[in-house]
Amino acid sequence: MKRLRDLLPLMAAAVALVVLFALAVPGGRFLTVDNLLDLTQQISINAILAFGMTLAILIGGIDLSVGAVVALAGTVAVATLPVAGWPGAAAAGLGTAGLIGLVNGACAARTRMPPFIITLATMMVARGIALRFNEGRPMPVPDSQTVFLALGNARLLGVVPVPALVMLGAFVLAALLLHRTAFGQHLYAIGGSREAARCVGIPLARRETTVYLLCSLLAGLAGLIHASQLYSAEPASGQGFELNAIAAVVVGGTSFTGGVGTLPGTLVGAVIIGILDKGLNQAGVHFSLQYIIKGLVILGAVYLDVRRRK
Amino acid sequence: MAAGGPSLLELHGISKRFGATMALQEVHLELRAGEVHALLGENGAGKSTLIKILGGIHRPDAGELRLDGIPVEIRGVADADRLGIRLIHQELTLAPNLSVAENLFLGREPRRWGLLQRGAMTAAAEALRDRLGLGVIGDVRVRVGSLSVAQQQLVEIARALSTEARILVLDEPTASLSEAETALLFDTLRRLRQQGVGIIYISHRLEEIQRLADRITVLRDGRSIGTQDAAQLSAPELIRWMVGRELREHYPRPPHRPGAVALSVTHLVNDRVRDVSFELRYGEVLGLAGLVGAGRTELAETLFGLRPARQGEVRLEGRPVRITSPGDALAAGIALVPEDRKRAGLVLTGSVGFNLALPWAPEWHRGCHVQTARRDAIVERGIAGFGIRCTGAEQPVRGLSGGNQQKVVIAKWMEHPPKVLILDEPTRGVDVGAREEMFALIGRAIQAGMAVLLISSDLPEVMNLSHRLALYRNGRILREMASDAITPEAVMAELTRN
Repeated sequence: MKRLRDLLPLMAAAVALVVLFALAVPGGRFLTVDNLLDLTQQISINAILAFGMTLAILIGGIDLSVGAVVALAGTVAVATLPVAGWPGAAAAGLGTAGLIGLVNGACAARTRMPPFIITLATMMVARGIALRFNEGRPMPVPDSQTVFLALGNARLLGVVPVPALVMLGAFVLAALLLHRTAFGQHLYAIGGSREAARCVGIPLARRETTVYLLCSLLAGLAGLIHASQLYSAEPASGQGFELNAIAAVVVGGTSFTGGVGTLPGTLVGAVIIGILDKGLNQAGVHFSLQYIIKGLVILGAVYLDVRRRK
Repeated sequence: MAAGGPSLLELHGISKRFGATMALQEVHLELRAGEVHALLGENGAGKSTLIKILGGIHRPDAGELRLDGIPVEIRGVADADRLGIRLIHQELTLAPNLSVAENLFLGREPRRWGLLQRGAMTAAAEALRDRLGLGVIGDVRVRVGSLSVAQQQLVEIARALSTEARILVLDEPTASLSEAETALLFDTLRRLRQQGVGIIYISHRLEEIQRLADRITVLRDGRSIGTQDAAQLSAPELIRWMVGRELREHYPRPPHRPGAVALSVTHLVNDRVRDVSFELRYGEVLGLAGLVGAGRTELAETLFGLRPARQGEVRLEGRPVRITSPGDALAAGIALVPEDRKRAGLVLTGSVGFNLALPWAPEWHRGCHVQTARRDAIVERGIAGFGIRCTGAEQPVRGLSGGNQQKVVIAKWMEHPPKVLILDEPTRGVDVGAREEMFALIGRAIQAGMAVLLISSDLPEVMNLSHRLALYRNGRILREMASDAITPEAVMAELTRN
């Protein structure tokens, strides 16, 4: 209950934005069921990335590699499709992502290298590997791969976008993990004080590795959806996705120094960023201005959050 | 003692309110030139508010400050600085990545044509060090972070005195100093006193105050109770005066009921522990007496799995155990109350409840179900069973007093009492009343049959609370004896002998 109450200002902000765009977008095109369903589809990738990023930031870390992992996982999956079908492709994509996550986690847990640098490096490596496929050119997904294409584009009962459902599924699982298990408690402890967490017997290295693994796996999942939505694997795609995910996390009230934050908060944060993107677009605001507005909104949201906590 | 210099600083009727709480009410204090004036009071009595007013960090709501009899206003830190008032806070404020010399001249580095005069700075730092007789600081070109806490403390004092100081305010300067280092600090303070500096000295250690102070002012609940000559007061009188109630006994040693051997350590070795062997029985307190830097904390960390052991054997109830992580230690039944409460003892971002329930998280989670009732029961047992004074389980642990924070650290282990409890400086930064409660907790642990390993730099405390005493120096146990079989003077002599 307390958690929900903490979320109220954020949800109020989301509603205020909806009202604003309902008025500002010409022809009342914003506040329609179709448009809002579209919105859920558009935020799904950023939200999935943000869930993983929440875990990483919560323990005082960061994962800059998720954008590159989106591209790499999508590329590997699409390259595997003709040989192994969609189950093999999904496994290959997620497996590759998981491998990057394990490298991130092992480096963060076992060495004293800062996660920012580790994941900056793996970001470059992952991007480079993705670009080795098909000489960096997009690889189309054959139309015969209906299941794979459905992942990003189909609608359940012709209404609810499948990626939105996948996103909700990921949200429920991640939220249960963080808010309903001892594992989740441990993450809060690690983010609050590594030393104190160590002194109550929490296995830091295992927990940390798991967090980076999960973060990368979620990025892999986002990569599959992304490739499906684009009808092709684009090795150069996903650039800057990590920053958008970080924005959703911090707007959602997670402290950048670790130890404080919730997954419902991140979900609302991703929704707010999504509403902004879509609303500004539909209101016909020039894309250069969109950047400026988004930047200011993020700054304002985090400022208010920091002040409220003081 | 001749503490009869002219009146240097006078505080008349100083009051300060924060929201609903009166932090200070009509406080009076007179500091003379050339005296050490001890300011005493339990945590929350208003000492820190008072010194923050002197330092220009807070401004009083009412009252008057006079320097040399002339009314002054301290509107900010710069004012305090200009008037020659120097504050030395409990927490160190040095930049650990800079050298001693760089720290000493931070913000007013000697420059020529805008370029740093490194040679001149080093020479000036050395001159300052020697003038103050603080040779133990050593090479001024060394990074501050590589110095011991005691040396850092002395650097802090040297910095305060690097420009002309008339009033020096020290807040618990000996909290992390050993006896020898304390003596060194006192020598420095006595020299300053002779030079006519007025010193306000805050400490919880009464022995120290009796050794050093000329006069004592006691604060209780934000009021100044009075000022007396230090020589006229005995320790029990002082405590009664300060607390406003009779404390039963200064150090109630728990009854000694040694049982079976709980922990036995043989030839334990790593980079900081040099061949340590000892036995610890149920129902007994083994005290580790040593100087700061003797490596007692490192021994505790090794036993708890925070540092790898290279050689040696640890047995619990006769069975060898392999401890490579705190998880192993806890599984074997060894719990640690670490030295650095705020860094390692508590998750400061969490609430009281969060911290109390954290070690037992797997117990109150079933799959994806949080057993709230079970968690609340654990938390309630901690709060009620250990008299933790808080507004409730959800109060952030950051807001508790030092004593109550320490109770949280200890209480969290008592849900399932460990076999061996290691306490590393459990009374550091804890006021007199809460110290008594801490002693009572140790007594309870013994009565419950636990084995306690106590590390404390407060010699009277460790001698009076423990049944057996191990003199620890340089990673080794020099000698072990019944605590009654040796005098504090003899202990000091052994610990400091070359």
